[in-house]
Amino acid sequence: MAAKVDHAQFRLIIPSQTRYLNLVTGLAKRASVVAGLDDATAAKVSIAVDEAVTNVILHAYQGEGHHSVELELRFTPQALEVHIWHSGQGIREDQLVLPDPSEYIKHPRKGGLGLLLMSRFMDEVRFRADEDSGRNECCLIKKIS
Amino acid sequence: MADLSIAVRQAGGVAVVLPAGFINAHTVRDFEATLEGLVQGGQYRILINCRDLSYISSAGLGAIMGLIETVREHGGDILLSNLQDNVFAIFDTLGFTQLYRVFPDESQALASPEAGG
Repeated sequence: MAAKVDHAQFRLIIPSQTRYLNLVTGLAKRASVVAGLDDATAAKVSIAVDEAVTNVILHAYQGEGHHSVELELRFTPQALEVHIWHSGQGIREDQLVLPDPSEYIKHPRKGGLGLLLMSRFMDEVRFRADEDSGRNECCLIKKIS
Repeated sequence: MADLSIAVRQAGGVAVVLPAGFINAHTVRDFEATLEGLVQGGQYRILINCRDLSYISSAGLGAIMGLIETVREHGGDILLSNLQDNVFAIFDTLGFTQLYRVFPDESQALASPEAGG
């Protein structure tokens, strides 16, 4: 008997290497268009996914390339959801501090802008730890208006 | 085709950097090395012509941010021109359009006082 397939979602697993970023962002952009978002919004979703996956590779896994990053795209009538799972160091939402762009202008420095782009370009950004699996999740949601 | 290629040419006293493709965490080292090489060589007036830049993530913005104080301390600047809409949206969202002079095209950037024009 054929396995039941949920046609509104699918998963992609990539090695924790930045060489695959372009593949992931291209997928996110095209998935956004399939979900019904316009081209400009699709570009913003792809940037947010780039930033989230980059954070996993460089910070959660500290640049180690032998781990896995799992992405799940969920298509609903209301939104496109991108769930990103990893087994590296997680981010606790209560410790998140988004940088203030005006402070960046006064005191230019490198780093810290990825979370800000994610929060500006998506409708919801959530981080959580799954205690059962020991994995961490970043969930990005873009509503379809 | 490579994700990113970078050309540099001289226009008077200004180094014009032309990144083509994608600047993300994977390709940013080449972009950063190009900018750092110019600054280390005493080139403090830099124009980044983004005509062929399809995409830039925060990694690329960080590379520019990391050098802006140095070039301005030496009386120079980093200028931007020919930004595609999605690239402009990223710069604008983060307030970078207040921090950097953005020009519609290269000739206007080169004619500006910041470029010595």
